[in-house]
Amino acid sequence: GEYDYDLVVVGGGSGGLACSKEVAVLDFVEPSLKGTKWGLGGTCVNVGCVPKKLMHQAALLGTALRDARKYGWQIPESQTAMAEAVQNHMKSLNWGHRVQLQDKKVKYLNMKGSLVDEHTVRAVDAKGKEMKMSARNIVFAAGGRPKYPTHVPGAEEFGITMSFILWTRPNMNVALECAGFLAGIGLDTTVMVRRIALRGFDQQMSGLVTVYMEAHGIKFSWKCTPKRVKKLPSGLLQVTWMDLNTTEEHQDTFNSVLWAVGRAPETKTLNLEKVAADEATSVPNIFAIGDIAEGRPELTPTAIKAGRLLARRLVGRSTELMNYENVATTVFTPLEYGCVGLSEEEAERRHGKDQIEVYHAFYKPLEFTVAERDATQCYIKVVCLQEGEQRVLGLHFTGPNAGEVTQGFSLGFQCGLTYEHLRNTVRTHPTCAEELVKLNITKRSGLDATVTGC
Amino acid sequence: MTKYEDVAVHGYEEFCKAVSERKGKEIFAYFSGDKDDQGKSWCPDCVKAEPVVRGELSYLPEGSVFIYCQVGDRPYWKDPNNDFKKTLKLTGVPTLLRYGTPQKLVEEECFKADLVRMLFTED
Repeated sequence: GEYDYDLVVVGGGSGGLACSKEVAVLDFVEPSLKGTKWGLGGTCVNVGCVPKKLMHQAALLGTALRDARKYGWQIPESQTAMAEAVQNHMKSLNWGHRVQLQDKKVKYLNMKGSLVDEHTVRAVDAKGKEMKMSARNIVFAAGGRPKYPTHVPGAEEFGITMSFILWTRPNMNVALECAGFLAGIGLDTTVMVRRIALRGFDQQMSGLVTVYMEAHGIKFSWKCTPKRVKKLPSGLLQVTWMDLNTTEEHQDTFNSVLWAVGRAPETKTLNLEKVAADEATSVPNIFAIGDIAEGRPELTPTAIKAGRLLARRLVGRSTELMNYENVATTVFTPLEYGCVGLSEEEAERRHGKDQIEVYHAFYKPLEFTVAERDATQCYIKVVCLQEGEQRVLGLHFTGPNAGEVTQGFSLGFQCGLTYEHLRNTVRTHPTCAEELVKLNITKRSGLDATVTGC
Repeated sequence: MTKYEDVAVHGYEEFCKAVSERKGKEIFAYFSGDKDDQGKSWCPDCVKAEPVVRGELSYLPEGSVFIYCQVGDRPYWKDPNNDFKKTLKLTGVPTLLRYGTPQKLVEEECFKADLVRMLFTED
């Protein structure tokens, strides 16, 4: 035809891979540009969800070893290196993606892509070699990169971002998740928060997550903002910060400073306007999916689904659009938090406090009993509409395996879950998840919401 | 003059010895079930994959090593505790791998010349 390729995908992360693999299966062939030093898989595989979850698991296993002694196991004190095991897994994922692309006849170019005009992409490799290609359609899935606080002297020079260890989404949970597993493997950790933690999430739930962390040795500097980072002759970093309540300045020394202050797409070379509902930009044949697009939940699964659906629409096989509502999310902090739907604040905002009913419960996981672990922050909350069958607007859970619990209930949510449905569901016992279908105390009643007995 | 070294070994000990004698070199290894007196392996996939792999050897990087390793007879291979499975973490034969990395092709993947070439040529 008149173009070198039917489709060029810029970006080899979650969105880009899903889109190009789908299109290849649907009989198109196109290159997938990727210009980073990482292997294939993008942020998720290399510095995001995958290493994050593995390190969270490493920390959880530390806790499990301590619990094990209470259950009668003789466990010696020992520590083994985790970094190498995690990195090996990531490399095997990089390779897995590479094999898949090749197998599906997707041409892969390890080069950095940028837009020349509506149908032309320029690509540059690590040695500076350039090539140009024309495409009928172009999809940008180049993701985001962590931001540095540019107004803080020494921030970029002496601090690191999650990209050096790992990284996930920007809703402030990165800071908490990383602090969580770093403390879990024995490091003295402080989290500095300017305003609130987990902005955009239900604030009651956010409070439970952070109180649990504080009770387990993680220090928080609330309402503080960093001013300066200086490297001392000893090699340690001296951080100066201001307490916004008192406007007093404080100083302390640390081995490492980790910035988790948000992410932004590197669109300097791409002249993309705001993305429309069907991932289209202001240019008809150019699309954007994943973190690079504005106003979408910045999550791997949404990028993957959006990538696949877009591919099908471009090939003309489908008109299905991505639904960005009701996406279940899990924060992998030491006490995990899973949710789907609206926060209590947002539900009140949309429907009015009188039109909603909140069922809640403080519960204790059975496993915590013998282990003598504190369950004070293990909590469930379901926000419903007041009238009729009481449709569920938001579901919130803190506790072990929150991700697994939430994924299961999010399916019900997708099908129009109501409080009636929950009450009519028979429990599977003994589990933490069963507490969701046992909910019967409302916030409105003011009664004690602590679960007692079976 | 071939630009890579072609080594043939039999069994786990010989394999480890061959690797330790070539420290610092880039090593590719192909693991196959033992061949009988007529040169035919008990593993049908290995029989199918070998010509494909051999056909791509010219793409091996300069100075690299190609080790052709017969793992043992069928009963040895079937034992889940054999050294190849336990220590090298092999899951099947044939396996073609870049030693010391997670990059490998297993079973039917070895039938595809373009995947073999990709393993030999890409970083």
